[in-house]
Amino acid sequence: MFNSDKFIKESIEKLNKVITGKALIAFSGGVDSTVCAALVNKAIGDRLIAVHVDTGYMRKNESETVKKLMEEIGLNYRFIDASKEFFSKLKNVEDPEKKRKIIGEKFIRIFEKVAENEKIEYLLQGTIAPDWIESGGELRDTIKSHHNVGGLPEVMKLKLVEPLRDLYKDEVRKVARTLNLSVSERQPFPGPGLAIRIIGEATPERTEIVREACYIVEKEIEEAVEKKQMDMPWQYFAVLLPVKSVGVHGDRRAYGYVIAVRAVHSIDAMTCAFSKIPNEVIDRISTQITNTLKDKVNRVVYDITNKPPSTVEWE
Amino acid sequence: MVKIFVVDNGGQWTHREWRRLRDLDVDTKIVANITPFDDLINENIDGLVLSGGAPRIGLEGDLGNCGEYLKKANFPILGICAGHQFMARFFGGEVKPSKLPEFGKIELTILKENELFSKVPEKSIVWESHNDEVEKIPDNFYLLADSENCKIQAIKHEDKPFYGLQFHPEVEHTEYGEQIFKNFVKICEK
Repeated sequence: MFNSDKFIKESIEKLNKVITGKALIAFSGGVDSTVCAALVNKAIGDRLIAVHVDTGYMRKNESETVKKLMEEIGLNYRFIDASKEFFSKLKNVEDPEKKRKIIGEKFIRIFEKVAENEKIEYLLQGTIAPDWIESGGELRDTIKSHHNVGGLPEVMKLKLVEPLRDLYKDEVRKVARTLNLSVSERQPFPGPGLAIRIIGEATPERTEIVREACYIVEKEIEEAVEKKQMDMPWQYFAVLLPVKSVGVHGDRRAYGYVIAVRAVHSIDAMTCAFSKIPNEVIDRISTQITNTLKDKVNRVVYDITNKPPSTVEWE
Repeated sequence: MVKIFVVDNGGQWTHREWRRLRDLDVDTKIVANITPFDDLINENIDGLVLSGGAPRIGLEGDLGNCGEYLKKANFPILGICAGHQFMARFFGGEVKPSKLPEFGKIELTILKENELFSKVPEKSIVWESHNDEVEKIPDNFYLLADSENCKIQAIKHEDKPFYGLQFHPEVEHTEYGEQIFKNFVKICEK
């Protein structure tokens, strides 16, 4: 069985040897990058600089949460708001693989700039096993390019270090618990963020809609779990579909987007079963979304596919 | 410690096979399918898992050096998905595109008792992900299990400790996946 104490000890020793200069960590505030940052921080201390990029495609209140987290671990950090740049790069882009590649490359260019200014040689990423497995290469087919693997540009100046490469999420969570990190149970959030939870062009207007819808899904499900109405899913969120349907609001015709709600059970994301959410919970989610977003959304559907044949996120 | 390597044919779940073995305290490693057989022998392995893969390798062409392993090995081999299909084809069976491919959850029925399925009930939930399947079992193999839409879910060589599984015992959602791996490890320990 996986032994987190042993893993922590060995990783710190190894990182201490491998990283001879200054290093930068791509810090999203998720479990993977937080565990990675905490390990490297233990290994090389102040020589590590954590960089958090606000892409504009973040969840509600994410920036504040991430800042707090970086302070909690005692990281030497930089916070970069690049939302305008990301929005303009993704203008008119509809293809999911293109979105992922553009975002991956943009991240790296931002990191390279910080690295140049601060004379940093190493780039640390919290890449875990499913990221590189799904990104493909050689024998393996590309299911989707994870921004931290398949999204990397071919020419890169920084030396890449990925201490969690062979771990699965449940193992990363074990390490997080051993390190007493508050994020240990946080649900996964994809690197490209809400951009891949909007099918079609990820405009700022659509981002606002899906951000609010995701917030409602998270809040309602977390409350239901607390009330013991259901088990905590592996991942739970909303997706905006760029199709419009007809509704009726106070005797007037409405015409708005469709929101798909997704919740899945898994331990490692390599296979997933859709969550059997109790009717009263899914009912509340639906009503909350259509009331809160009444000018934009008038229909909510629930995704009942497993992985395979589908994947967790829609893009 | 028993030593079982996983031959990577490019499957999404190759690494999961490695993980199942590692979690059972097996000395394990993922190796490329072009690894020469002699290198495996020099490593003193006790068994081999042939992973699945994206190309329609069960249908035609080679699967790296998997043919050589099947020809020369006297240790147990477990072929999974495309690894299973290739094993069937190598020994003279036929592999065809499935009329109704299976993705995700299905019910497996065990037809013949075998140590690979020790402590696995007659009916259990397994997960699948295949476009092709074995249509004709090779002469020197026999059938162990089926499902509603795929008649050849598990096969075994008559004399050699070679097993083929169309479903995926390595994924979390296969109910008795861990048990099947435990059984295979036991077979390799002999």
